[in-house]
Amino acid sequence: MDFFISQLISSLSITSILLMIALGLAIIYGTTGVINMAHGEFVMIGAYTSWFFQTQFGMGLIESIIPIFIITATMGFIIERMIIRHLYNRLLDTILATWGIGVILQQLIRLSVGSELKYLKIPPYMAESMSLFGQQVSIYRVFIFLFAIAIFILAWFLIYKTKFGMKLRAVTQNKDMASCFGINSGMVYSFTFAFGTGLAALAGAFVAPLKSISPEMGTNYIIDAFMVVVLGGVESLIGTAASSFIIGGTSNFIASFSNDTLAKALVLVIIIFILRIKPEGLFAKKIRS
Amino acid sequence: MKIDIFKNKFFLYGVFCFLLFLFPLIVNDPFYLNKSSTYIVFGLLAVSLSISWGYTGILNLGNAVFFGLGSYCMAMSLKLKTNAIHTGAGGLPDFMVWNNVVELPWFWEPFYSLSFGIFAGIAIPVILAIFLGYFIFGGRASGVYVAIITLASMIVVYLLIMDQQRYTGGFNGITDLSTLKIGNFEFDAYGPSAYYLIVSVMTFIFFLTLLVTKSRAGLIFQAIRDDENRVRFLGYNVGVYKTASLCISAGIAGVAGMLYTIVMEFASPTFMSVPLSLSIVIWCAVGGRQSIFGSFIGALIITSGSGFLSESETFLHTWTLIMGLIFILSVLFLPKGLAGIFDRKK
Repeated sequence: MDFFISQLISSLSITSILLMIALGLAIIYGTTGVINMAHGEFVMIGAYTSWFFQTQFGMGLIESIIPIFIITATMGFIIERMIIRHLYNRLLDTILATWGIGVILQQLIRLSVGSELKYLKIPPYMAESMSLFGQQVSIYRVFIFLFAIAIFILAWFLIYKTKFGMKLRAVTQNKDMASCFGINSGMVYSFTFAFGTGLAALAGAFVAPLKSISPEMGTNYIIDAFMVVVLGGVESLIGTAASSFIIGGTSNFIASFSNDTLAKALVLVIIIFILRIKPEGLFAKKIRS
Repeated sequence: MKIDIFKNKFFLYGVFCFLLFLFPLIVNDPFYLNKSSTYIVFGLLAVSLSISWGYTGILNLGNAVFFGLGSYCMAMSLKLKTNAIHTGAGGLPDFMVWNNVVELPWFWEPFYSLSFGIFAGIAIPVILAIFLGYFIFGGRASGVYVAIITLASMIVVYLLIMDQQRYTGGFNGITDLSTLKIGNFEFDAYGPSAYYLIVSVMTFIFFLTLLVTKSRAGLIFQAIRDDENRVRFLGYNVGVYKTASLCISAGIAGVAGMLYTIVMEFASPTFMSVPLSLSIVIWCAVGGRQSIFGSFIGALIITSGSGFLSESETFLHTWTLIMGLIFILSVLFLPKGLAGIFDRKK
């Protein structure tokens, strides 16, 4: 039991980061059908924005959450308007376009900031550790977990309890019909994309103090986030959350007696097996189409 | 029936291959000959993606993994042929000695035979393709999932090779290879011999792909690309055809990988990294993925262009940016690539 609890607690922070990244990816994919290959790059940009705020203006992580979200969501909005908008009738090509966007973003950062590693400090009042079920955990990791849960609830509230969410669900079900009822579905798509990229950037800002920041950091996270989307299906937020926990937990568990790379390889193989049996994902709802 | 030889692809391919054979007569500089060889190898890599993506509609974002595996197989064989100078007992490869490996691992043993190395350079990519195909296409996963899984598989293989430094050379790859010798004949990477080898293989692959695309299976590939369900309703096993297409593509990529090791004289994990895989997709997208020849030319133009431009300081860093822009623009405005322009004029 002790082993189980320590596993659970040590996988909390990786799981929460994964949840934030995958949530954005799944919301965008579920609504617009676009797999955003540049999602990992938005994680990276979130981390760099946070680093920028901290070194240039001395802003702490908490104060910069809202500016980071606004800046990156605006970027997402602009990219959707300029490029992705024209490809909704060729969905597979959006993979290519967003991949190209990812490369450009990565190279822009490399050219402007440089490719050497950057490090961020954990906010001092969160650097200490606390005792949780007899385990020593750093307060920062607990904070990340609580924040991810808060984001998840916020996303759920936004989608199921607000007027925008109602429009979003209508557009997801049937774009043309929703447009007939006067919903500006193009606008809904833009805001969904912006929201998803904003979430990715927040995840980046939160992961930055735990790991180093580099232009390539997005690639590491995006694969796990893809796995979450493949495993969880995209129709339900709960599915995304559950599969984040499954993948985060499993990777952490395997990594505890081998290493991160082998864990990643094994998780991928397991997911490929699952894909054979349930191609629509573990948590897909049966929907009438 | 009158056959218009200028529209006959067999004839046009023949002329093109013949011209490439004549190339060393004009350019005799070892450096440029070596460069041209690498461009042609990349062209083959683009051809390989064109089969699976352009003809069958499998958006394989991890095509470089097959290339990389082929390249490693060749490198392992050539590494064991080098004269052991700084090595330990039994002619262990140098990086293993540095990593305190005392015995040659079992999976290196068969690579003492060059024929096995060449066989493995095709077989291992094909086996991986069968594995992926069985699970992805057997489960009828849709296009997006195919893209994700192929990309993820490539990244995982890449990470594994980086991680298992003791056996694979890790970040540095496998360097200091001997040149390829078949019988008493030596293929010099900077001489015309390696170039002729590559152009011969290229000619073979060109006509092979032409046969495949003109065959019944080739037509079914294209039908699957255009409307998968209709093909399924006609009674074809779509999964098997898709897997077959992926296997052909993987085999060609494996061959290209082996050739690349021969001309570059090393193997590196970057041969199966995301940037290379993205480049392959860009070559095909720009050249025209639904045309074998278009993809080949796309690769030739872009790689030679980047080779030329990255010699100047200004373009070295902005090149990736330019590539990204070209890619997005071609996706937006030229979905059929350069080959599409010529098609329209007919």
